[in-house]
Amino acid sequence: MLHWQDIFRPLVEGLGPKPPEELVRWFDTNTFFRAPEVSTIDSPKASAATPSASVPSPRVVTLPSPYTFSRAAHNAADRNRLMQQVAERLLRPAMRTAAAAGARVIHLEEPWLTYYGIDDADWKPFAAAVASMTSGLAAIVILHCYFGDASPHLKRLMDLQVTGIGVDLVETDVAALGKDWADKSLLIGCLNGRSSVVEPLDATVELTRYIADTVQPLDLYLSSNCELQYLPTGVAEQKVRRLGEVARKAKDLVSV
Amino acid sequence: MSAVLDHKPLLTHEIGSLDKPAWRVKAYAGQPLGDREFEEAGSWGQRLQVPEYERLVDLLHHAPFDKEKKAEIQRWSSLYALRLEESAGLDVVYDGEQQRTEMYDWAVSHTNGFERRGSVRAFDNKYYSKAAVVGPISLRAPFHNAEFSYLVSVADAELKVPVTGAYTIADWSFDERYDRDTDLREPVRDRRRKREAARRDFVLEVARNLIRPNLMALIGLGARWIQVDEPGASTEPDELDLFVDSFNASVEGLNAMFSTHLCFSDYNLFFPAIERMTQCRQFAVGFANYDSRELGTSDAERPGYQVISKFRDLPAKPALGLGVLDIHSDFIESPELVRDRVLYAVKVFGDPGRIHVTPDCGLRTRSWKVAYEKLRNMTAGVQLARRELGL
Repeated sequence: MLHWQDIFRPLVEGLGPKPPEELVRWFDTNTFFRAPEVSTIDSPKASAATPSASVPSPRVVTLPSPYTFSRAAHNAADRNRLMQQVAERLLRPAMRTAAAAGARVIHLEEPWLTYYGIDDADWKPFAAAVASMTSGLAAIVILHCYFGDASPHLKRLMDLQVTGIGVDLVETDVAALGKDWADKSLLIGCLNGRSSVVEPLDATVELTRYIADTVQPLDLYLSSNCELQYLPTGVAEQKVRRLGEVARKAKDLVSV
Repeated sequence: MSAVLDHKPLLTHEIGSLDKPAWRVKAYAGQPLGDREFEEAGSWGQRLQVPEYERLVDLLHHAPFDKEKKAEIQRWSSLYALRLEESAGLDVVYDGEQQRTEMYDWAVSHTNGFERRGSVRAFDNKYYSKAAVVGPISLRAPFHNAEFSYLVSVADAELKVPVTGAYTIADWSFDERYDRDTDLREPVRDRRRKREAARRDFVLEVARNLIRPNLMALIGLGARWIQVDEPGASTEPDELDLFVDSFNASVEGLNAMFSTHLCFSDYNLFFPAIERMTQCRQFAVGFANYDSRELGTSDAERPGYQVISKFRDLPAKPALGLGVLDIHSDFIESPELVRDRVLYAVKVFGDPGRIHVTPDCGLRTRSWKVAYEKLRNMTAGVQLARRELGL
């Protein structure tokens, strides 16, 4: 995604009615995106999500969640209708293209839900949109909710048709994760993607081990709490290496 | 109490940055200059009637440049930018920050307590250099004095000095000093409380130990209008009181006219917090980015300006620097579009004396050609508005 200008742009370029223009702050960061301007989605650019052949396996492809997409879009009259359209006509083909090209994990970014919240009435359309994207897909799908506390939403998130749920541990209490994860994978955002301080290895391993033991999810994935684009490349690389060290050490401990 | 300058209604000014000419950038970086750069220096010098611009063109032919020559080229760049703004008809000018690397980097690189960490994306594929605070913050030396002293000596129009504000400097920095807590096993509530306290310490230390002494130095040199740039001000909606505290701590008791620049935000968030910024005599705010390009002065035709009534109702009755140029687009606003945006604002405020006219933000992401055309149309649009209002 290094050549992506923002999480939406490669997917919506060429869709019209005109190129995205309005520059909007991406949550509480100093990064800005151009709000997607989408009226009809007739010719989706699914190839935008194809992982580059240069990326080693196993590959992860990151895409926007349909809820975040529909809320971030410019002047959409009916955002739930847009959410369904985006899910069916834009994200579903993109996810299939990615899976066919070897992506093992599809990582859906969902900061809107945890930062701004979601109305009760929007859960059903959201669940339908997610289901329309994921049914029959030969890939692991993680819905990663970040920039906010996921715990108030966990019960309903667990009902979504995805392989796993991602949480931002900078904003979400470990104690609030509960223990109902036997059928769901859990992604923990355990490195702060907005801080240049690299997390200590042993404490992060211990955190991981603790969650593995107490929450006991179906599978446990480790990640940063959000995208790493808020960090200079050098710091981001250090964090990625640290994540690998944590995963290796935690695996040893958990398997013992 | 901050000074109030007697300005005419619909005063025009730029916000801060302009792009740097290729001859300035390359000369400073020690890169070879070619016909394109020589031609650029010559043609803009002629167009803007920069006195003795041929001396610059001659100088550019004599690479390599030592430190003194590089400083001289930077001053030429300042002079060109100043003339561009004066030639476009602006009432109040500066030099497009030609002698600074960038609004954030320039400040932290002249400050003790920061270390550079690398570049991060701002938007599209535009990046900015980001540093981390790692130790006690103090001003190494006032870092706008040299440019200001030079500009005083060459400017025909009134000057307004843009200075990056404390909140933005803190917000755009990593914190490796005040908030080093990484223990995610702690309850979020406890971590948040510590984070907020650390943040307050950081922002106010920047205000007191960096911004304020810098402002005092400028005032000592005769600066009368200082614009505290705070593009980061609304980044964290729950920190607006901290932003206000940092502004007040920076300017309290100093004798100059202070204004602030805000941009690319949901401006509703600023209220009521900014009511406490009683020493801020003008809020320069970007609106055109959110507006339609249709002509007209109705609410429906000016969707980007709906929030301005809140600025009108501020108890201290500051002026509003009305952003009328979208700085993220090469679209050239027509004088008629500028006119209608201004007339709409005057209609809402009921007092043209409280409306100043500006671009949304600094124009550094636009070429000089585009920036010049936008600014000329802005001043032409203000003339149309003045005529319409009988001013």
